[in-house]
Amino acid sequence: MTLAQFLQNLLNGISIGSVYAIFALGYTLVFSILGIINFAHGAVFTLGAYFTYTLAVGQFGINGLLSGLNLDLKVPFALSLLIGAILAGLVGVLLERLAFKPLRTRGADSLLALVSSLGVALVIVNAIQYLVGAEIYTFPSQVYGDIKPAMMFEVSGQPVVIRTVQVIIFAVCMVILSILGYLISFTRLGKALQAVAENPTTASLLGISVDKIILATFFMSGFLGGLAGTLVGTSFGIAGPYFGVTYGLKGLAVIVLGGLGSIPGAVMGGIVIGLAEAFVPPDYSAYKEAVAFAFLFIVLLVRPQGLLGRTHIQKV
Amino acid sequence: MKVLLDAERLCRNFGGLKAVNNVTFQVVEGEIFGLIGPNGAGKTTLFNLMTGLTPVSSGTLSYQGERLTGLPPHRIAEKGIGRTFQNIRLFKGLSALDNIKVAQHVRTSSGLWGGFFCTPSSRAEEKRVDEKAWELLKLIGLADRAGELAENFSYGDQRRLEIGRALALDPRVLLLDEPAAGMNSAEKRALTEFIRAIREQFKLTVLLIEHHVPLVMNLCDRIAVLNFGELIAVGNPAEVQKDPAVIEAYLGAE
Repeated sequence: MTLAQFLQNLLNGISIGSVYAIFALGYTLVFSILGIINFAHGAVFTLGAYFTYTLAVGQFGINGLLSGLNLDLKVPFALSLLIGAILAGLVGVLLERLAFKPLRTRGADSLLALVSSLGVALVIVNAIQYLVGAEIYTFPSQVYGDIKPAMMFEVSGQPVVIRTVQVIIFAVCMVILSILGYLISFTRLGKALQAVAENPTTASLLGISVDKIILATFFMSGFLGGLAGTLVGTSFGIAGPYFGVTYGLKGLAVIVLGGLGSIPGAVMGGIVIGLAEAFVPPDYSAYKEAVAFAFLFIVLLVRPQGLLGRTHIQKV
Repeated sequence: MKVLLDAERLCRNFGGLKAVNNVTFQVVEGEIFGLIGPNGAGKTTLFNLMTGLTPVSSGTLSYQGERLTGLPPHRIAEKGIGRTFQNIRLFKGLSALDNIKVAQHVRTSSGLWGGFFCTPSSRAEEKRVDEKAWELLKLIGLADRAGELAENFSYGDQRRLEIGRALALDPRVLLLDEPAAGMNSAEKRALTEFIRAIREQFKLTVLLIEHHVPLVMNLCDRIAVLNFGELIAVGNPAEVQKDPAVIEAYLGAE
């Protein structure tokens, strides 16, 4: 591998890895509060991308209920991204109220919550297909305004391409990670969140409304999922209603790799999986998902608790 | 004398077991009220009913004339009822300072979302929260270890931190579940003084579950005795000690 190729892979890996990180954080937040995996997270990811597309482009294809519709809203991309993510966050809140809370208050097994979230995921995916068909939608490069789609550098005589989308993705992810880090470590909401994650009963006795914290968590989780969906959609296009499924699974790999429930672990896991995929040689790029999961297995053999997960020491 | 807490025919069944059965008592403002009884008498269950952790099967509990039964735990905590646990329940992964700060947000005007946006008023409030947390840490003697994780503290320090955290709620009523468990006699004496001191300083009413009889007799103004979920005696320490039903419950019938 030449230096230029190495740099190119590194760049691609970090960019997509940072999206994996914020997507996986959505799983992690819910897991650390409720101890369950929200299987509808991949569907929320998909929805987020469609929301943003509707706002920023709003031009639909030849299938589905909305076929031929051209909303032409032309909302500026940054605003569409934000609104799309907020809408996805509200879907997260709805999800909690419809799929999780009814089961939780009846004391159902957490496996049931998993199945119920899987059910919601299928409903969302089918609803999207019913509305806009199973076509591929892409964001035209003009949506970002009048910027060049890519920049090219030469490293020892060979080209390295930096796509504008990659820079945008990375910048957005870093901003979101910083805000989230600040929110969790330094604000009252963050402290309450940590308290509920550790012991909901005790938190409630200190006047913390556990219900509100759970809602806030689902909002943040949906927000992160929707945002990640949009970012991947802008980079590779929205490949139909099922496009969140692969990312949903990959997100699971990320949180297991990083250590279940660990926030820095999810970030690190995302970057590691992104890099592992990017360094798959082009001839084998069709198998890069397999490479990511193979990597996961190897790491888990050495560190079953994940990269940054804490081992559970049972105190007697 | 003002009645602060009024328990009226409280019952809680677990299947066929009557863990708390028809318990009626009143707690007067400012007193230290002891709850004693053999293991399994229903003392902790009674605390759980009072804090909303366990719903009552029947009966009512009111606080200053307001009904508490049916409210969720965080609403009861907001009203000013704080508690500690028999088996300490600190947030182990948070620092001592944060353990105390977590309990303070119910007393702030901006609530949970405060401090997210750095407005001058939220900053001023944050400063007050911080100052009060430090005051409490000084009171419990842990100010020099504020940044350490709660899980690294010794058993006695954790107990004091848990009381400090309960005080951060600004409670009117403090429920202490076996605060002296596992302490030696010097520590028990210090704890007795500490409970008296915080009652004066914070104008508290204290309910106390405790097995160590000398401590209870020395500290409490009145004592209630539970046995098999039923209240068998209420009165001042001297009366309760002489009560035949109490003697029978502790020593067995002749």
